[in-house]
Amino acid sequence: MQINGGSVIAMVGKNCVAIASDLRLGNQALTVATNFEKVFPVTDRIYLGMAGLATDVLTLRERFRFRVNMYTIKEEREIEPETFAHLVSSTLYERRFGPYFIEPIIAGITSPAKGSKPFIAGADLIGCLNFAKDFVVVGTASDELFGIAEGLWEPDLEPEDLFETISQTFLNAVDRDAFSGWGAIVHIITPEKVITRKLQARMD
Amino acid sequence: MDHFPTNWGRPRNDAVDAYNTYPLHSRPVHHDSFADGVQRTQQPIVTGTSVLAIRYKDGVMMAADTLASYGSLARFKDVTRLHAVGDYTILGAGGDMSDFQYLKSVLNDLIIDEFTQADGHALGPSEIFEVLSGIMYGRRSKFNPLWNSLLVGGFKDGKSFLAYVDLLGTTYKDNAIATGYGAYIALPLLREIMDAKGPENISEEEARSMLTESMKVLFYRDARSLNKFQIGKITATGVEISDAISVPTEWAFAEKIRGYGAQTQ
Amino acid sequence: MSDLMAHPYHQYHPQQPQQRQFNPYTENGGTILAIAGADFSVIAGDTRQSEGYSIQTRYAPKVFKLTDKAVLAVNGFAADGNMFVKKVKQRLEWYRHAHSKDMPLRAIARMIQTMLYAQRFFPYYVYNILGGIEEDGTGAVYSFDPVGSYEREACRAAGAASALVQPFLDNQIYFKNQTPALGSAHPTHLPLRHVVELVIDSFTGATERHIEVGDSLEMYIVLARGRSLQGLEGLKDVRELSTPGSNGERLFVLRKPLKRD
Repeated sequence: MQINGGSVIAMVGKNCVAIASDLRLGNQALTVATNFEKVFPVTDRIYLGMAGLATDVLTLRERFRFRVNMYTIKEEREIEPETFAHLVSSTLYERRFGPYFIEPIIAGITSPAKGSKPFIAGADLIGCLNFAKDFVVVGTASDELFGIAEGLWEPDLEPEDLFETISQTFLNAVDRDAFSGWGAIVHIITPEKVITRKLQARMD
Repeated sequence: MDHFPTNWGRPRNDAVDAYNTYPLHSRPVHHDSFADGVQRTQQPIVTGTSVLAIRYKDGVMMAADTLASYGSLARFKDVTRLHAVGDYTILGAGGDMSDFQYLKSVLNDLIIDEFTQADGHALGPSEIFEVLSGIMYGRRSKFNPLWNSLLVGGFKDGKSFLAYVDLLGTTYKDNAIATGYGAYIALPLLREIMDAKGPENISEEEARSMLTESMKVLFYRDARSLNKFQIGKITATGVEISDAISVPTEWAFAEKIRGYGAQTQ
Repeated sequence: MSDLMAHPYHQYHPQQPQQRQFNPYTENGGTILAIAGADFSVIAGDTRQSEGYSIQTRYAPKVFKLTDKAVLAVNGFAADGNMFVKKVKQRLEWYRHAHSKDMPLRAIARMIQTMLYAQRFFPYYVYNILGGIEEDGTGAVYSFDPVGSYEREACRAAGAASALVQPFLDNQIYFKNQTPALGSAHPTHLPLRHVVELVIDSFTGATERHIEVGDSLEMYIVLARGRSLQGLEGLKDVRELSTPGSNGERLFVLRKPLKRD
């Protein structure tokens, strides 16, 4: 879990969710890339973040792309965030005794048919789901993220306020972690649109 | 600072270092022939299990069973693990019984020394505790611990006292303390009542029933315990340690327990 | 068996005596925190003492008054912590007898470094944070590692939940990652009431997410001599430890319950 480093966080706001990851890719203490995003779109309204072993992050991104495509074809509809969370969970639990070394975070908005409600979930490396109502964190800076999110987060934040909250939480957390940082990317997901911003961060 | 270069660990010979000083200093390394014979760290041999104690209205009450085990063998079944120190204090011990015996003799000497002074001062529980925790921390710092978990309970000058010290020198005070398995099994039961009422609202009868009930529960779940125990109390009237109390036990329910153990369904 | 015996390096030792090493340390959980203001210092800690998953007691102080203007918070292995505080207090008393005054804060800090480093090869397993008022009347915080490396800072968190609290302090005290509005600047020192609120928020947050933190919060507040109460009078749960009306530094303690689960 500490070979490549990296952290991801997701937060719930008022009719919106936010998800952010850092951009560092390391080989132990050596930083080898500063453009390694760990959050990927699954549908227009669902994003998946993964922290952990970089090779597994890439592998699973492709596996989930495949499985979501299969779901869309078979069901002839877009997958719901909660359904996708369970898909992630069972995919990881399939490898219960030889796991992928990643911890996922799912952030999304349910379909209009289901009320366009914000949804976040996290899981451990074998797929134990955590449906939090406030925020979920994973990665090498998870302790730092927990502490500061507990101090900054409040319910019913509007998209722009949620952006400020998640950005401050994330930047200050990764600045105290040697394995995370070197820039960050934030996605704010609302029923209408997704706003994506890159954050400049400390490079040390 | 070691001023002898040969002791620095660098190879000192002309082949390696042409500028070596000559003649080379050499000093025989000190070797303690008895080093292997000295036993420093140990493990407990004959052991006592939990000690429980609570503060209540009139003072402190403490309980410990009378078993001293040798591993899983119930070796000595009539050992007193509650010990009066002076006129105001009870010491309760879990862990190694020979270390406890040693501590008793040290404290006994201390009490005699203080008595001989005849200065009108007697050691109270807080003083005994200070000495005891000093001994325990001192011994752990010499890597030669006294392998015990100890409770010191007492009553002097209208104030009751209850504190814990163990082989590491870790200490704390509280209204209800339990050592060993008691910390897992009995302490939640004791704390439930203590948190609801506070020590000043617990009568002697209630204190006694709290400890008796806890000792019974411990006997059912702690394999190194005995259904024979003593209760000590320390109040304004002084120290009182009861004779061993045997409580009846009921095992009929065990037949009906399912879900673990040897049975297959 | 016979194969093994054939090799001189694989001789069979049926009952070789094995040495188990006694571990003289343990961790007793909890977290401490101190923040320095322009003319005050706040030093706080929770009061839970634990070992593993057991709560030994819900009230074991980790923050200690040393002099009228110096407070020491100690976190890590409780037995070492208590012994260390005892020895620091003893040295301060000797100093008082020799010089008939209290040791200045910066001198206490250097003394603590010396005392910790003296045990370099069998360290006190504790993190120390010293807070108080400097001789020039400024609020000060000194933080130490277990072997005496130290530094004067504006704020520091240590102990079990230090990773949770320190980034929050970076953000709220040092304004890290925040840019002030055009034409304005971040304040260099925060008002006392604001600092007290930040400390309370830090500990409620740490209590929520760390199992070794909780039960109650004990916060010492040292005011430089001749300063007003700075809003302290409006706070409940505050008690003055110094004699009111004395014109020296003033010391207050604030106790507040935290979650007990």
